[in-house]
Amino acid sequence: MNNAHNKNVLIFLLSSIGLIALPHVGHIPKVLSVFFYLLLSWRFTGIWKRNWLPNKLMVFFLTVCGLALIYSQHQGVFGRNAGTSLFITALALKLLEIKSERDLYLIAYLAFIVAASQFLYEQSLFMAAYILFVCCVLFATLVCINSGKPQPGAALKTASIITVQAIPMAVVLFILFPRVEAPKWLMFNEKNQAKTGLSDYMKPGSISDLGLSGELVFRVKFTGALPPPRQRYWRGPVLSHTDGKRWTQVKDMEFGRFLDKIVFKGPPYQYTLLMEPQDKNWVFALDMPAVFALPLSRNANYQLITDENPDKRAEYKITSYLNYNTGYITRTEYKDATQLAGEPSGKIKQLVKQLHGFDGAPEDFIKHLLNYFRKENFHYTLTPPLMEENPVETFLFETRYGFCSHYAAAFVYSMRVARIPARVVTGYQGGELNTAGNFLEIRQADAHAWAEVWIEGMGWVRFDPTAAVAPERIERNIDIEQLVQGGFISYMPAGAAQEAFNWLKQTRQLWSNIDYNWQRWVINYNGRNQSRFLSSLGIDDIKAMLYWMVCGIGLITALLSWFLLHQKQKAVDPVLRIYNRFCKKIIKQGLQKGAGEGVKDFAGRVKKKLPEQAADINRITGLFIKLRYGRNATLDDLKLFKELVEKFKS
Amino acid sequence: MQNNTQHLLDAANQVILGKAHKIRLALCCLIARGHLLIEDIPGVGKTTLANTLAKLLGLNCQRIQFTSDILPADIIGASVFDPKNLTFKFHPGPVFNQMVLADEINRATPKAQSALLEAMEEHNITVEGKTYPLPRPFFVMATQNPSHQIGTFPLPESQLDRFLMRLELGYPNHDAERLLLKGEDRRSLIASLPVKLPPEQLLNMQEAVTRVYVSNAVLDYCQAIISFTRESSEYYCGLSPRAGLALLNAAKAWAFMNQRDAVIPEDIQAVLAPVAGHRLRAGNNDSAAIVAPILAKVSVH
Repeated sequence: MNNAHNKNVLIFLLSSIGLIALPHVGHIPKVLSVFFYLLLSWRFTGIWKRNWLPNKLMVFFLTVCGLALIYSQHQGVFGRNAGTSLFITALALKLLEIKSERDLYLIAYLAFIVAASQFLYEQSLFMAAYILFVCCVLFATLVCINSGKPQPGAALKTASIITVQAIPMAVVLFILFPRVEAPKWLMFNEKNQAKTGLSDYMKPGSISDLGLSGELVFRVKFTGALPPPRQRYWRGPVLSHTDGKRWTQVKDMEFGRFLDKIVFKGPPYQYTLLMEPQDKNWVFALDMPAVFALPLSRNANYQLITDENPDKRAEYKITSYLNYNTGYITRTEYKDATQLAGEPSGKIKQLVKQLHGFDGAPEDFIKHLLNYFRKENFHYTLTPPLMEENPVETFLFETRYGFCSHYAAAFVYSMRVARIPARVVTGYQGGELNTAGNFLEIRQADAHAWAEVWIEGMGWVRFDPTAAVAPERIERNIDIEQLVQGGFISYMPAGAAQEAFNWLKQTRQLWSNIDYNWQRWVINYNGRNQSRFLSSLGIDDIKAMLYWMVCGIGLITALLSWFLLHQKQKAVDPVLRIYNRFCKKIIKQGLQKGAGEGVKDFAGRVKKKLPEQAADINRITGLFIKLRYGRNATLDDLKLFKELVEKFKS
Repeated sequence: MQNNTQHLLDAANQVILGKAHKIRLALCCLIARGHLLIEDIPGVGKTTLANTLAKLLGLNCQRIQFTSDILPADIIGASVFDPKNLTFKFHPGPVFNQMVLADEINRATPKAQSALLEAMEEHNITVEGKTYPLPRPFFVMATQNPSHQIGTFPLPESQLDRFLMRLELGYPNHDAERLLLKGEDRRSLIASLPVKLPPEQLLNMQEAVTRVYVSNAVLDYCQAIISFTRESSEYYCGLSPRAGLALLNAAKAWAFMNQRDAVIPEDIQAVLAPVAGHRLRAGNNDSAAIVAPILAKVSVH
């Protein structure tokens, strides 16, 4: 390896390693990133100033430093973060002792590992594309190491071709290679990555924290028609118990066994629900879920619960009905749903009485109460004044500024004062339709709370007092930022700004559609989904799977090699093609034209073997020479040539 | 026209026994307007070949014996003071002949060598600011002792490039040698040879050779050979563009001699060893062995 050669290869290798470690900067401790890039730049300088490179003793010292740094940051070398740090530090140290070509290979392979470890942190489409690019650069480095005259441009081109050719193989392996679930220790630190969503209690004001977050909670793709926007209630925890301020779930769900059978009516809605990782095992189904498979189960509050680890993205197939009748109410439910913290105040009793809570039918009282919310001076805002003591009363009679949790709490409280069983249901409402992928995206901002009242003959019925005050909150998506700034709901100004906004929105929707499909089809392709997908193709056991995998790889290899071999023949002109046919006929006689053999020499050999056909061979060869090398061949010559070759029998 | 070449070759084969192919290549070189370098040990018939060809072609032939003390003036001529007219008069040297046999060219110093080689390239000679054209056709046949022999100045690559072909004559085979030993004196045989191809016809032929057609397929093959020599690790240095032109010219002449009006890959293969052998010089002097990888690996289409 001469010096100039070395230099080019080294620049290439070091740059690609710099690129590979770049996304890790956010994951490993700052000190280690600095250490890595320091060594990298040291090595870079060493390309031109060889004497500046550290000697053996110095490398040893640096190794000790690196290990000490890792230990001080991670207290060990086990686990995802520590392991990644170890690899990165080792890569940097190895850079300082490049002595032979073997070291270059070692570094390249180590770099591949570091590149792959990226996926332990982030699995987005962007990251996949970036890693693919980085691997391409690494391939180019390997190409450079192996070529006599390294040229970065040509090497990159070769590497990209290799990468593109590898993609079909990767797809087959992706689909068919047996999945091994990542061991738990790998996911050590993933717990704190799960997103916090709805909590299992509600206090006036608690949902407003979520109200500002545009973070995705789940995505829903309907197989048929979409339910109307005002009916899109995604059921979460049901809060029945109150201490006057907080609303919480009841712990004892034993009554679930005594529940009446639900009667579903109307059209069914079938959909696939893709939950983002979260910290609770709740699945927000469209109210009311009817058909679902394991690991889902429906608890006594008609909420879907999953048995699996919710830190991972998971996909569920669910069927829901918008119209349902839950039937009778159990005794426990009745007790829970009419529970109050202490004796209600006179003011509230007065209000309930005024709205015919004590003397009319429950339906009438509900109507009056909703009318009350509508007619009186109630406002919808995400920044209501603080209500420390007696939040319900303060809200009803003093401030009258609030959002869904205030309205739901006040509504349910008033119901209970009138001895009508009612409870708060939290969850999400609405969701934005992604027109590009025709699926709904439900974000934290869509968190909502509404009320459920049990009515004789109808079962639990949903009422949304917020809709009475701010119907636009229910019927369409609101722009959270506008709401927060103005205190009230307002809409985007019409005109040019609107167009720009639409365009941005479309772009964002398109991207989130791509991202949805990526999450759904690639990231979510775990062992369970794999076996489900494969059994739908009729591949049931691992033996068949391996069989298919080997066949698939064989097929792709065959296709690629055919393509590579065929490439040369494609450029061939018709004369040569016909001549090749002639050669094929002669192969049967055990005679093959050598690559560097001229046709005349070949004809001489053939004539010796087939003396009786010498005349034909002479004519064919003569015509070929005339057509291919001659000055004035005619179309008739070509026809005659073709005819002769076709007639020729060896 | 081509028949005459055949007659010429037949006659030459009567004099130089068992070397039909080499003689054919030598004539090809002549028709392609190139110069010939014959490299072999003394006594295998280099001079006889030159004399035979000169006689059959009716060219006036002059031999220059190169020695270590030969001077450029001994080759190209010198201006000599003429006491009668009180002027310097140029006396042309032996190079002013249609066929020049430069014997043992590598025994001369590089200075003397280059005097001849320049004349070969330029086809004229400039002495003291005056240019004298060389006769046409002009053909130099140089002989060279194998460079391992004592007292030689091997020709550098740049000079070797000026010879279109290099041939090794080699020993005659058993039968040819018997005939040679039995037969009459070669010198008297040469003296009795008739002119088979007069110089005008040779010039016409040289003209006709330039009109031989070269198809794109042949050009592809030619270029494949050239790039193979440049990329392959077997050769220290690949063929130059001048070598490519030489190869094509020689192939054209070969095609012409084989009564074809277009070059085919076999023509290139036939002349490849003598044309490319001395230009590639892959560690030995065996041209056939040097070009063998090309013939084997570069595919013909």
